[in-house]
Amino acid sequence: MSERLRAVSGQVIALGVALLMGAIIILMVGESPVHVFMTLLRGAFGDQEKIAGTLLQTTPILICGVAACIGLRGGMFNVGIEGQLFLGGFAAAWVGFTFSLPTGIHTLAALALAVAAGAAWVAIPAYFRARYNTNEVVSTILSNYIAVLLTSYFTIFLFKRPGGWSETPPILATAYLPEIFAFSRLNWGLFIGLLLAVGVALVFRYTSWGYGVTMVGSAPKFAEYGGVNVKRQGFVVLLLSGAVGGLAGGVETLGVHHRFMEGFAPGFGFDGLIAALLANGSPVATIVTALFFGALRSGSLLLEVDTTASREIITVIQALIILSVSAQVLVRRRGDSQAGERRWKF
Amino acid sequence: MEILDKLINIALIAATLRTTAPILLVALGGSFTTKAGIFNIGLEGQMLAGAFFAVLGSIWTGSAFAGVACGVAAALAFALAFAVLVVTFRANEVVVGLALNILAGGMTISLMKAIFGTRGSIVGHGIVGLPKVQIPGAQALLGSWAPLVSGFTPIVYVAFIAVPLLVLFYNRTRLGLYIRVVGEKPEAAEALGISITRVRYIASLLCGLLAGLAGAHLSLGYITMFTENMSSGRGFMAVAILIFSNGDPLKVLAGCLLFGFADAFSLRLQTFGFPSYLVLTVPYVVALTALFALSYRARPKIIKETLASMQKLLSTDRNSVPADKNPQ
Repeated sequence: MSERLRAVSGQVIALGVALLMGAIIILMVGESPVHVFMTLLRGAFGDQEKIAGTLLQTTPILICGVAACIGLRGGMFNVGIEGQLFLGGFAAAWVGFTFSLPTGIHTLAALALAVAAGAAWVAIPAYFRARYNTNEVVSTILSNYIAVLLTSYFTIFLFKRPGGWSETPPILATAYLPEIFAFSRLNWGLFIGLLLAVGVALVFRYTSWGYGVTMVGSAPKFAEYGGVNVKRQGFVVLLLSGAVGGLAGGVETLGVHHRFMEGFAPGFGFDGLIAALLANGSPVATIVTALFFGALRSGSLLLEVDTTASREIITVIQALIILSVSAQVLVRRRGDSQAGERRWKF
Repeated sequence: MEILDKLINIALIAATLRTTAPILLVALGGSFTTKAGIFNIGLEGQMLAGAFFAVLGSIWTGSAFAGVACGVAAALAFALAFAVLVVTFRANEVVVGLALNILAGGMTISLMKAIFGTRGSIVGHGIVGLPKVQIPGAQALLGSWAPLVSGFTPIVYVAFIAVPLLVLFYNRTRLGLYIRVVGEKPEAAEALGISITRVRYIASLLCGLLAGLAGAHLSLGYITMFTENMSSGRGFMAVAILIFSNGDPLKVLAGCLLFGFADAFSLRLQTFGFPSYLVLTVPYVVALTALFALSYRARPKIIKETLASMQKLLSTDRNSVPADKNPQ
């Protein structure tokens, strides 16, 4: 327990260091840090609509974060969640505007294709990672660029809404994810994300498959001697991670935009990865970190209105948080440097 | 007609050399860290910071070369941060690299908004681009072939001259040898009394130097402007090249020429009316295909090569390192 307490306190101190550095950068761009942070807070939690807005931003970050967690647990860096998100989003929209199906079934069909698209998009990098040990970080990053351009091509050249602006036709109402409140676009996607996070955590905790994945991630030799097919499992882990990434895109399309637009969800994939890293690969802790980043994002919308600072200042803060968390040895005892070395390796 | 074809071909090759230069520089920078045993995914961010601060420096001082110096300084700062976190604090290099990339992206956009009050791009404002070097006599000697050797910005020449220099550096200098030893057999380096920390710091900073030049080429070379995320994945392509070239300068050059060609060719396709979105994927598709194809081909060789290079390394160690130590 004290181990866990120390880990959490280390995370909090790292967070403080990052916010301090963020404050310095905010001063550099000519704004008052207090004003900026208060604006962020107000933009994130100011009234019930703002809170709903924060949860709306949290949803895709959470689902992407769970996708990243699955990979991280199995020792895989799926940096391609962004691309899987875009393809999943497009696939869901395509089902949504092409077919007409009964309510509910339509949504499920669209989500299923989004999941399939995400998994399919990561399949080739996953295969080469598992079979030939081709670095998955680089291959998934590069595939992001292709995914974004490809979905733009689909949207603008093949399925453009007549008279529309780089967007597909709207999906049918039968495929919508139901909204929770009348005053916000917040929808059932949030529940999907929460269920997913808890479900994945339970799988890792209570099934032998989940144990095997964690073992492959933390001690591949041990897992191999224990009879785990490391290669096949690596492939499956990346595929599942990609599938969840695709689901995130589907949820975003069916719940929020109701169509696919060029650049519909910029940066959610990376935010999810960062949230998962900050949560140390734990899906349940990712709920908290995703909420934090969702609040930052939501608050940044008001930031753009009320201050001269750009909303990208929050990406700076996020990056600083990850950097200071990754250097946590700073705040630990010297003897612990080994633990620092193994951070993020699970 | 034939002459016209030829001209277009020469123009295409010249364009290839131009587009190869930034990726070549950043990949050669990455070869230092690769050889030193660091997986440096942060190249992209260093390049982006270099591009942005090169533009800033150019506007502030009114001199392109001072701009380049500013860009290099910014990239060095990022490289230093990378080294501090990865080498001294032993943080995970993938995490640090990715975070620094995100930092570079967010910081450049935030600063752009703060300084110029705009989003998207910086154009005008008195940005001074790099001059083009006309090699005297090239026109007279080579005629229509002259564009292949003359009329590039200085950074392009630096990029291509760096290739043989790096070959010499790795094979003929003590620091080059140290970097290789630290990367391939850190235990041996330690036993020889080489400071792994110091060598990795030097490698990271050398990497930042070249990545900064690459960034400056992007924003002050042939187009004098800065746009959001203008490095557009070139740093990641460089990492792909580094993986299958293992950081060997000549193989890096070969890989980079391939990408430069893909880049130049895709630009040309665009002018012929192919959908730009598909055309723009070409360099990334080429990078991925090369990465996968070469890792497939290299599968039985990986083990053999590792053994061979270890043997070679051990024998070089025995021959040259004690000789180097003598002056002490």
